[in-house]
Order: sequence, then structure tokens, then C-alpha cells
Amino acid sequence: MLERWIQAAVTDDAGGEDPAATRARLKGRFPAGATRRMTTLGMIAGAALAGLDPGEGDAIVYASGYAESCALEAFLDSFPTPSPTLFQTSIHPSAVQQVMIGRQTPVREFLPHSGGRLIAFQALRAALLSPAPRVLLCGGEERGTWLLAHGLASDRTFGFAASLSRERPAGAAGRVRLAPADGAGELGLASLFDLFHGRSVFGGFIAPGWRLDLEWL
Amino acid sequence: MTAFGDAASTHAALMRGESALRPVPVLGGAGGDPVPMALMPGRAIDETNPPSWLGALRALAGAIPDGDWGSPERPVFVTGSNFGVGGLYALRQTGDAAFAAWGAPPTCTERLRVELGWGPDVSIISHACVSAHLGLIEASRALDAGVAREALVLSFDFLSPFVAGGFHALRILNGDFPAPFREGATGAIGLGDGAGFAVLARDRGDWVLDGQSLNNEMHHFTANRGDGSGFSGCLEATAAATRGRRVWYKGHGTGTLEAGRLEVAAAGRSFPGAPVVGWKGSLGHTLGSCGLVELAVAIESVRVGQTPGTYGRGGPAMSDCVAAGNFANGSFDGVVCASNAFGGAHASFLLCHA
Repeated sequence: MLERWIQAAVTDDAGGEDPAATRARLKGRFPAGATRRMTTLGMIAGAALAGLDPGEGDAIVYASGYAESCALEAFLDSFPTPSPTLFQTSIHPSAVQQVMIGRQTPVREFLPHSGGRLIAFQALRAALLSPAPRVLLCGGEERGTWLLAHGLASDRTFGFAASLSRERPAGAAGRVRLAPADGAGELGLASLFDLFHGRSVFGGFIAPGWRLDLEWL
Repeated sequence: MTAFGDAASTHAALMRGESALRPVPVLGGAGGDPVPMALMPGRAIDETNPPSWLGALRALAGAIPDGDWGSPERPVFVTGSNFGVGGLYALRQTGDAAFAAWGAPPTCTERLRVELGWGPDVSIISHACVSAHLGLIEASRALDAGVAREALVLSFDFLSPFVAGGFHALRILNGDFPAPFREGATGAIGLGDGAGFAVLARDRGDWVLDGQSLNNEMHHFTANRGDGSGFSGCLEATAAATRGRRVWYKGHGTGTLEAGRLEVAAAGRSFPGAPVVGWKGSLGHTLGSCGLVELAVAIESVRVGQTPGTYGRGGPAMSDCVAAGNFANGSFDGVVCASNAFGGAHASFLLCHA
């Protein structure tokens, strides 16, 4: 069985909020001028991650199925004179890089995942297998526009980050356990986010042969 | 698998001093500046439906040992940078919704999973040009923890106007051909198709990966810290695993100048006397797959006993440790394999005989 304690969790559900309103709401969480080139996902997932004060010794496991959908759309729209800035920004793990480069904080281990129906399990497995004393599991999605119409982007905007430790910390917020067992199930990223956002207890299969037990203290 | 073919064909071509890079219009049929690209035989960068690279992946997958891949005990880690993103470019250019089918990493990988008959446990790891290393690390950890019996790591990246246009916009993909670890007036990279796989097991096999290491500078999207600490911070952990061994160093070496200088200097500090080679001047940069593609060539080099030198015509070498010519590697007992990526990401490991 794999187990980690949840030290703290930060979540942000933009719900039906307009992207401009989300950006305006989060702008003050970053240094002045830093947000001009940040994506909405970079801001919402980055603000959650920054809330846990990531440091060099932490491992960061990042999960986003579709990542920077709006930057990707804009980059594709920039042809035949493609934008170098949008190219950089559209590359998968840029949401975390946007905030960490802004903070000028190196990190030894950064494991960015994409995925579909099993992404929650796969990101949790990566986090729980990391040898780092503290693992920051973070992720999110941003609502796409024309890519969404083709089923190639998220229909929600949300971000989250959770600090996971091997030893039970004082004031632990919860505990996450993954165990091999007979059974089947699946859990997408939005569903994992909802569990963290609602501090919901969960016990069940999130992948074939793998059971998740999530409890809040 | 590269534009030259499988690992043995690629190694042989490198030994002969051949380059797979050819000038190709950066946007394919839509034109643009000619830039160096190495495409697999019969492929153009213009997108087709289904993707023209699918045949190459099917051929590669045919060499994967049989097994219930994607099951709880045999997870798969698919790694890369682009997946089917060329389909998105074609979708936007043509409006043909059929191009959407392989467009995003989740949809591309799910189609591939079904195509190859794998079970559902197929992780997708995407961290630009260190992606393959991350797949190897995650697979190794699953094995070490006893939660997997074997693991398959598959990595691929095939060129498209999306990625060529992006690197061209950054001006590092230009009309010049790459000359890794050589001084010059300007730096230049070439791009190449690439794919590879590795099957990892905990307690058997002919080869061992040790000293797997990562480091992320988080200093700048497209530049490294000028003191080289990002490179050294990664290589030091791998160096600890090489104690007592005589190694050669398979570098990342894309052909950019500053990163090349920093890498060669860091390799010299961490592995004094180790010859440094880089093959992207011939193969092109195979992006997220480069860690696995070049691992396969490194294994072939050890198997054959000959290491291909650093391909690329240019100014003087950045250091005396850069091996321009081929060399016999029988007196070495390890290879350090390193890759780097956007954001100052670094990854390295030691390859040695079991």
C-alpha cells in the first residue's frame, strides 16, 4: 500500500466565471507585471501551488489533461507567422513553469502528466512513489473555446494543489492511500479536483486493480 | 527508430558519418524557409488522416515483447512532447474535423492504446525534451516499489508544421545545420522524427539504469542559469553512481551555443576525462523521444564496441573532451546519458551492463 499524509490543500473552482474575471481575481497573487503572459491555467493552478510555498527540495507532480488550451488555440491561430511566446506557453507543463520561473525557484523533481480516465490514479501513483520528503500534487484545466467544440479541451476551469508528506505532520489535513486490490473503476481529473475541493471522503476503485482511500481529518 | 531506421541502422549511419537532415520548408506544403529536418522514410511533415507516422509506430510496436501491457502489473508510460499535435494544425488550417481524432495527448494515446491492444493503465508524461527520462524514472519507481512486475516506456515525437514553426519562430531552427558542441557565429538546431521503447524489469535484463537524476532550474523558459548550476545539479547525482567506473558521456547537444558550452563544462566537471558525444547534428533533435532514441543508440554502441563521434561541421570544439571521431569503447564500463528541455529541465542516468 502507498500512503501519504495531506498537510494542506488549496483549490479554486472558477465555475461559470468569465476567464477575464478569473484572471482579474487572481492577478494580485502574483508579482506586478508577471501575469501579462500567464495563461488562465497558469494563474489558477499556479496560485494554488504558490499557496503551498514550493521549495527546491519538493517534488512537483502536475496533472492536466489538456493544459494550456487557450494558448494552444492562439498559437495555432498565429500561423503562418507563429508566435514564439505562444509556442513556449502552449507546451504542456508551462502552467507550473510560469509560476516557478516567476518565483525563480528551482525544483529537483517535476513530473508533468496528461491523461484521461485514469489520470487521477496515475498522478497519485507518481506522487506516492516519489522519494521526496514533500510532494506537491497539483493540476487543473482551463476551459477551451474552439478546441472544446472538437472535444479537445476541458469544459471547466479549476486548479488545485496538495502538499503530501510521508510522516504525519502536526495538524494533518487528511490522508491518501493507494492499494492494489481486485476491482475496477476510474477517476478523471475534474472528479479528483471535486474530492479535494469538497474535502470529500472517498473509498473506491479509481483504476483497474487500484483502490483509493481519501480521508479528511 | 530514427530517419535512418532502427537502432542498429542508426548506429551504423552515425559511424559512417552520415546525416539524415535535409532542408525542408518549415511549414511543409505551405512553404516557408528551408530548415534542417530528418523525417522517417516516406513521410512528409504535412498532416494526413490517419497520421503518416502511425505506420512507423506500428512497426516499432511489433518489436515490443508480448505481455499484458497496460494491466495493473505491467503499466505503460507513453512519453513525448507533441503526440498528435500536427492534427490540430491541420484542423485549424483546413477545418476538417477528422484531423481532431489524434490531436490531444489523451485522445492520441487512447487511440494508440486501442490500436496496440493495451489495457487501460497507460500513463501520459509530457515534459518537452526530458519526457522519455521521466517515463523511465516513473517506471523504475513502480518496479522498485513492487507495484509492477514489468513496465513499458514508449516515447515518440514526429515533426509537423506546429513544432517546426514554433522552433523557427524562436530562431533556433533556421537555415543553418546544427553542429553540437562546436563554436560558431550562431547556434542552430535540426529536428528529427524519433520513437523508441524500453521494457524495464526489476531483477533481470542485460542492461541497468542507475543514478537516474532530475533537476529543474525554473530560471527562464528558453535559457539556462549562466553559472551552469542547473546542469551540474543534475549530473552530480548521476556521477555518484559512476564512482569507480570509466564512462563516456552521451550529451544532449542540440547545436545551440550557450547550452552547449554549459553542458560540456558541466560534463567535464562531473566526469573528468570522459569523452563527450552528441548525435543530434545527424539525427536532428527528436524532442521528447530523444532520451529513449539515444539510449537505444548508446546500447547499440556498447554492444558493437564502437561509439559514433559528434556529428556536425563548424568551428572548434567547445572543449578537448568533445569526441569528434568514432572511438572504441571496450575500455569503458558505463555511459552517462543526458537530456535537457525548456524551463532549464535536466535529466541524466548511467547505463551499464547488468
